[in-house]
Amino acid sequence: MPVAARRGDRSSAPHSGALESLLDRVSRGDQQAFESLYTAVAGTVLGLVRRVVRDPAQSEEVAQEVLIEVWRSAARFDPRQGSAMAWIMTMTHRRAVDRVRSAQAAADRDHRAAVHGYTAAFDEVSEQVERRLEREQVRRCLGQLTELQRESVTLAYYRGYTYRETADLLGTALGTVKTRLRDGLIRLRDCLGVSA
Amino acid sequence: MSTVELHTLTGAYALGALTGREAAEFARHLDRCEACTQEVRELQETAARLALAVAEVPPAALRTRVMAALPEVRQLPPAEHAANVVPMRRRMRHRLPYLAAAACLVAAAVAGGYAVQARQDADAQRDRGVRAEQQAAAVSALLAAPDATFHTTALKGGGSGTVVASERQGRTAFLYHGLPALPGGRVYELWYSRDGSMVPAGLVETGRSSGAMLLTGGPRGADGVGITAEPPGGSSRPTSAPLGLLGV
Repeated sequence: MPVAARRGDRSSAPHSGALESLLDRVSRGDQQAFESLYTAVAGTVLGLVRRVVRDPAQSEEVAQEVLIEVWRSAARFDPRQGSAMAWIMTMTHRRAVDRVRSAQAAADRDHRAAVHGYTAAFDEVSEQVERRLEREQVRRCLGQLTELQRESVTLAYYRGYTYRETADLLGTALGTVKTRLRDGLIRLRDCLGVSA
Repeated sequence: MSTVELHTLTGAYALGALTGREAAEFARHLDRCEACTQEVRELQETAARLALAVAEVPPAALRTRVMAALPEVRQLPPAEHAANVVPMRRRMRHRLPYLAAAACLVAAAVAGGYAVQARQDADAQRDRGVRAEQQAAAVSALLAAPDATFHTTALKGGGSGTVVASERQGRTAFLYHGLPALPGGRVYELWYSRDGSMVPAGLVETGRSSGAMLLTGGPRGADGVGITAEPPGGSSRPTSAPLGLLGV
């Protein structure tokens, strides 16, 4: 990565919130700091894994792996690359997706069944998001996306579909889904006021 | 794939929607494309917000299993470039005394308190579970806020309290530990100090010595948070001397 990106402009300033401090201590073997970090993120880790993996027992297994991985690789977290929460959630999503994709690799995926399952699953995700007042902002911002943007983003993220699978499920051209994932996320970013 | 085509993959990459091979190819592209790198970062932060929106209360057994595994897991050393991070770490250490205290309280509150509480009362279990999830997610989000501030103090009469506030999120949490039960059904009440007057900011749930709660209203414009003991049901203005005053 070019040196210029590491210093100077505000947008790439290192993150230094509470989670980042905790991770720093965890990287030096501080178990108490890890307990606190666990408390702060375990619910979100498990929640995301559950959306993707579905099966409760397997979800807990994956969440456990992720949390142990956070302990193991805390020293590799680089606050210049993003926040601790984003680092942990990226790791979480990857592990969850690995689990479902490897399970699917054996039996070729039945898209017809997936399409049936999809409508219910999507409604469920929407409901989960809508039900909780605390998540009002995310709900509101998801509501500002076009239907195709919202469906693409939620299928990819909450269900762990690749963009190819997402295109198949939605009966949309590949290029369109690719673009909707990007512009949908950009609109969410702006609506949520996210900076990095 | 052309560069332009690759650039449109920032969204799919940030959402984990590429296959392993595509993701690897795109990661190589990121090494050469600063604009893409910045965009991916922002979109990954955005995706993390989608994750926060579906937080759950994890079962206590998960914590037990994870903690039990730690001694067996060898931690990775920092990557090569870690030396560059030293100044930042030094800066972080200034915050550690607050954090250590706040973090212990959060651990006690969220894990112990909410989970146990949700199980204890069978009738209210479902409602409380939902509320606990909301509170837990909100406290997590607060802790994760880059602008979160921490203030901890011992309280007159026993116990300690920590105020975590984020202007950006417009939220304040109060984390408490070892609060003694008050005689005569009196309750602990929180207040925002604004322009020299005390504004009610919520009651600590009775019968709990440790926990975490969100204050009513955000920290903007407040110069502190106070806690007092008040008659049952709380008061509209403090009727006793503060047990503690904390900055926000």
